[in-house]
Amino acid sequence: MRIGIVSPYSFDVPGGVQLHVRDLAEHFISLGHHVSVLAPADEGTPLPDYVVSSGRAVPVRYNGSVARLSFGPLTAARVGRWVEAGRFDVVHLHEPVTPSVSVLALWAVEGPIVATFHTSNLRSRAMQAAYPLLRPSLEKISARIAVSEDARRTVTTHLGGDAVVIPNGVFVERFASARRQPDWEGTSARPTIAFLGRMEEPRKGMPVLSAALPHILREIPGVRVLIAGPGDPDSIRDRMTTEAAAACEFLGPVSDQDKASLLASVDVYLAPNTGGESFGIILIEAMSARATVLASDLAAFARVLQGGVAGEMFRNEDPVDLARAVVALLRNPIRREQLAVAGRERADSFDWSVVAADVMAVYETVTLGASSVRASTETDSRWSRLLRSGRNSGGT
Amino acid sequence: MDQLSWIVGGIAMAVLIAWYISYGAARLDRLHTRVEGALSVLDAQLVRRAEATLELANCGALDASSALILAGAASDSLEADTSDQTSREAIESDLTQALELALGEVALRRLREDEVVGAPVLHRVAAANQRVQLARRFLNDAVTDVRRVRRKPGVSLLRLAGHAELPQTFEIDDELPVLVRGT
Repeated sequence: MRIGIVSPYSFDVPGGVQLHVRDLAEHFISLGHHVSVLAPADEGTPLPDYVVSSGRAVPVRYNGSVARLSFGPLTAARVGRWVEAGRFDVVHLHEPVTPSVSVLALWAVEGPIVATFHTSNLRSRAMQAAYPLLRPSLEKISARIAVSEDARRTVTTHLGGDAVVIPNGVFVERFASARRQPDWEGTSARPTIAFLGRMEEPRKGMPVLSAALPHILREIPGVRVLIAGPGDPDSIRDRMTTEAAAACEFLGPVSDQDKASLLASVDVYLAPNTGGESFGIILIEAMSARATVLASDLAAFARVLQGGVAGEMFRNEDPVDLARAVVALLRNPIRREQLAVAGRERADSFDWSVVAADVMAVYETVTLGASSVRASTETDSRWSRLLRSGRNSGGT
Repeated sequence: MDQLSWIVGGIAMAVLIAWYISYGAARLDRLHTRVEGALSVLDAQLVRRAEATLELANCGALDASSALILAGAASDSLEADTSDQTSREAIESDLTQALELALGEVALRRLREDEVVGAPVLHRVAAANQRVQLARRFLNDAVTDVRRVRRKPGVSLLRLAGHAELPQTFEIDDELPVLVRGT
């Protein structure tokens, strides 16, 4: 099958959507499909050979955060050319309401269109104001996918209709085959806990862990907390008791490989996030590495952990409950092993082989009996034709 | 002068209205095409599901009465009158129920153990059912869009939809929890 995938965000910066697009594209290519990804990129950025640049990405403040997006008539013209050259059976747009390449592609394309909604906070003033303009192009989407129940709820409330939930994927094998690092493995006197992520962002839950640590240390004085991720250790240590700070070891930002090793080595992986998580891919990565997972009972986490079957949960933002759960787990190796095995099994249902098969089922459904994707005859390609002729005459 | 600007204004107005009508008609036409496409996809997927169910009934791993129930439901579906949506919805829901009844714990285990015939057939039924679910959801999304646009006052007043029938969503029970994953 010839598949065109559009990413609204630049590949220069890591992010959930870009990773999803990259993994999906590489998985389909490994199955023998033809895949072309259109994404913004600065000139000179090394790109995988299946990625086509839609032009430079500009940092723009949109919907409360800065994103690197790409837009304007020149980009629109490139999108048109990409569609015409690609002869795709299906075009798969990611985040079709972000003001970037996806929206332009939606205007430029006619035929089987699949759209994936990642965000769970779609509502923005711009979106509301531009709604009459967006509506007719959104009607062109033949199949909508949401990556989580929360994202799906956003789609149903703001756009109407429904969406199929197909979660993010993980290459389980990459984590399952991670080597354990003896230095990160716990002993019965000195068990280890891991925390991953931007520690200075309160919603990642570091304040809850800091508050819980004194309680944990009272029960298990030798506990080691391994903290990986970007951020200034001193700003965290300053807010802890001396004993708690002494129990923490800061590893700084780690490579993907070290992340997998860390997850595979420690006794408990802890995710004390307090909110803003619509999915929790990190939990699945941890389960893939056979880590024992302890997470706050956010709705998204509870779904991934099947309400406590594939990992233990504690009351969100409750340090005392967190301490109780950590101590219970660290004292019970049999329970840890049980959870690790259940988690590893659970992770399999999020492996790309399974997730991508679901996406392929969607492609097959929308392309059944349909003609292939073509450039829209509406405004946008007229725009691009005008531009091209303008540039040609200007150049001679 | 005054008269001239009235005429110019009138022409501009007429052009605007003409554009609005042609744009609205094109938009509606595209939506109707999407509904028709989605409907024919659903039709094809329902046929595939019924065929896969017949295969399952005849694979020999099920007991005779389960096989009969399945074969009956599947042939009802294959012979259904496609123009009568209400009765078709009932027939397809019955097929889902028949599958759910036939695929009990013991039957499922036996099918999964039989790697030559049983497991592949089971996999085909699961895949066909998943595609029915997808096709139905995509159809219903398209129908919802058409109905919303056709409710707009301009569209209904000017009869932009022409003689096209107002499409209906397709409502059946197509949940088969026993077949989700791991087949």
